[in-house]
Amino acid sequence: MYSLRLLRVILALGMLLTLAAAPSAAQDCDGDVIELEFMNWWGAAREPLMNEVIMHFEAENPCIRVINQVQPWDNRSELLATAAASSNPPSIIMTTRPETYQFAIQGLIIPIDAFVEDQGTDLNVFYAGEVGIQYWNGELYGLPMPTAGGLTSMFLYNKTMLREAGFDAENPPETWQEMQAMAEAITQGDALGIDVMGIQMHSSNLDEAFVSWLYTNGGRYVSDDARTLTFNSEAGIETLAWMLSFANDINGGIENERDFFQDTSFTEGDHPWYDNQLAFMPINTSVFGHYNNNDPDGYANADHWGVMLRPYNGDNPDGAHAGITGYGFSGGWAYTIPRAHPPEIQEAAYKFAEFIGVHPQGGCAFLFAQSRPAPVKECNENPAYYDANPHWGTVLEGLATDTPIPITPVQGQIAEVIRGHIEEAFFGMKSAADALNEAAAEGQAILDEFWAEFDADM
Amino acid sequence: MNATIARQHDESWRARFQEWWFRCRSWIGFLFILPWFAGFVIFDLMPFAYNLYLSFTDYQIGTQGAPPWIGLENYLEIFTKDKLFSKSMYNTVYYLGFSVPLRLIFAFLIALLLNMRVRGMELYRTLFYVPSVVPLVAATLIFAGLLNTRYGLFNHVFLLVGLPPVRWLSSPDWIKPSLIILSLWGFGAQMIIFLAGLQSIPSDLYEAVAIDGGGGLRRLRHITLPLMTPTIFFNLLIGVIGGFQIFAQVFVMVGVDGGPLGAGLVYMMHVYNKAFRDFEFGYAAALSVILFSIIFALTVALVYTSNRWVFYGDGAEDAA
Repeated sequence: MYSLRLLRVILALGMLLTLAAAPSAAQDCDGDVIELEFMNWWGAAREPLMNEVIMHFEAENPCIRVINQVQPWDNRSELLATAAASSNPPSIIMTTRPETYQFAIQGLIIPIDAFVEDQGTDLNVFYAGEVGIQYWNGELYGLPMPTAGGLTSMFLYNKTMLREAGFDAENPPETWQEMQAMAEAITQGDALGIDVMGIQMHSSNLDEAFVSWLYTNGGRYVSDDARTLTFNSEAGIETLAWMLSFANDINGGIENERDFFQDTSFTEGDHPWYDNQLAFMPINTSVFGHYNNNDPDGYANADHWGVMLRPYNGDNPDGAHAGITGYGFSGGWAYTIPRAHPPEIQEAAYKFAEFIGVHPQGGCAFLFAQSRPAPVKECNENPAYYDANPHWGTVLEGLATDTPIPITPVQGQIAEVIRGHIEEAFFGMKSAADALNEAAAEGQAILDEFWAEFDADM
Repeated sequence: MNATIARQHDESWRARFQEWWFRCRSWIGFLFILPWFAGFVIFDLMPFAYNLYLSFTDYQIGTQGAPPWIGLENYLEIFTKDKLFSKSMYNTVYYLGFSVPLRLIFAFLIALLLNMRVRGMELYRTLFYVPSVVPLVAATLIFAGLLNTRYGLFNHVFLLVGLPPVRWLSSPDWIKPSLIILSLWGFGAQMIIFLAGLQSIPSDLYEAVAIDGGGGLRRLRHITLPLMTPTIFFNLLIGVIGGFQIFAQVFVMVGVDGGPLGAGLVYMMHVYNKAFRDFEFGYAAALSVILFSIIFALTVALVYTSNRWVFYGDGAEDAA
């Protein structure tokens, strides 16, 4: 009887407290809670991490509620295009750099300079290259995300395989020539192609691989004003010719190279790297998290693997370690804000973008949990990174070599043209010089047409 | 007396209802097809008309208001500048030219076998139909594994019998044959239609051939094939229309670029890339109008020529 009374008293008190709290919360939010739809591709193991970030954000901003809309990777372009063009798009979206530019020029997303000023966001916390590539036509359209940097400047290498082949595992190759010598010694074939590969020269994006190597040979993709393609320079032709000879002489041709990686994925853990069948692999900064997830013992053994900077042409005095950022599909991601929403939603979306960009409990924590670098300098200075990633010093060194590439909204079409010609060269249908000259001519025509329309509109 | 009057009254009402029904029967027929017709207008005809309109505009994603009218510019660019138009069309026609006849022959031969009187035939029919209910993406992924150069079953069997391995998905020469092999997997639907056609052939016709001393080949040539021509024609038509629109299996197997040197870039993939990668919706609309025109023209041509080789049993073939 006594306990029943006590229970009633507790329930009554609870109801009173709830009633008392409700108006005060509403008062704080002026009666409204703003809902943000966050369209993103942070799936798999990253989704709970992002939910945690959202929880911290909502604790600091009780009047804003974020709905985490993780999207499937398949049909990504289609989903994004239809969502962005609709009259009711998500409040904040993840876009690649070419998409950011495309949407910017079509007026689908808003520049965020005014919010940056109003909120007092210090853009200097970012690496200059990271934030620099989010500007189009002098206006800032997004706060940078990871994967913009560290995309092409580094290689993973297998120290065990180097030792077995008689090389000094603590001194990875610095130049193309040293790397080629190692690749020749390590690569082994069988009846079905390559059984053990020394070096993975390129991913499926041949154009991106070419441009990455081009910068280690002192070449440039395009002029600083993004109006003239320059990749068919002497350095460019030398770079592609070297790539072709490497693919043909050491790996037995591009078909062999592609067969070696067919149906494998570093993310899924069935990649030749995990079976000690690949000695050198170009990486982007997402691999650390995936490596740790798929092979925690291997990842924890710093004597088994290392990180090195992308080798340069030792015969060229202008050659140097380099990486590129913001060139293509996989580089230069940003959080952008669609135009179709009222100002209060846009402002709330910016607050969220800023939180997941620069806040210690936002982007910093999210990226640290994946052992990958942030676009914010201070986040990467966290000493705990050195425990989480045994080669963290080299990672930072690699980020410092990144060069932002000037591009335009027609970058996707130009990249497609370059890819096609380079692939024809790999299949022996044309020389390196012909491939690059033809690609440059076609690409330049696309670029000229774009600039002519752009200048006419201005 | 009253009962008679009531009966006459009833009969008069019935007669009047029947007369009304007779007069209105065509309208009632239309009423029954109205749901389909409404669906056709809303979901087919109107989008088609809008697509046709878009093909004359420079409609890009985000275009505010009416898209700029550019007349035939998209079409001119397709026919004069677009290298991928001819390439994707060639790839599609190549695929079509091999996959449609092979699939027809394969489905027909299996249907012939499944039409025999053998114990447990129901089980065989089920087994042969099962592949057709496997989702296309799942089947494509299975084939991608089978065709893997290094670990796929096909190449390991080749090595066992002393043949050189084939680069099914990494060589530009083998992409299209790989897709054609994959197309044979889903023959079940055509097989079922063939089987239904075979079972509708009157058995007395076969008996007549047997009495005349004809064997199996004669029966096939003089009875089965002529009577199956309407079914063959139907499957051919559906095969051609479907073949032009091949997309999902290529998308899954070789990706949006169509594999090495774009050897697997089919027409629908080109349309998709223009719309959702380059965001040129007006241009993509023009490409799809061209595809529609080609399919329409081919269908008309097939229907027209069908009078010469399709036996409907009503003398229509004689008229031609």
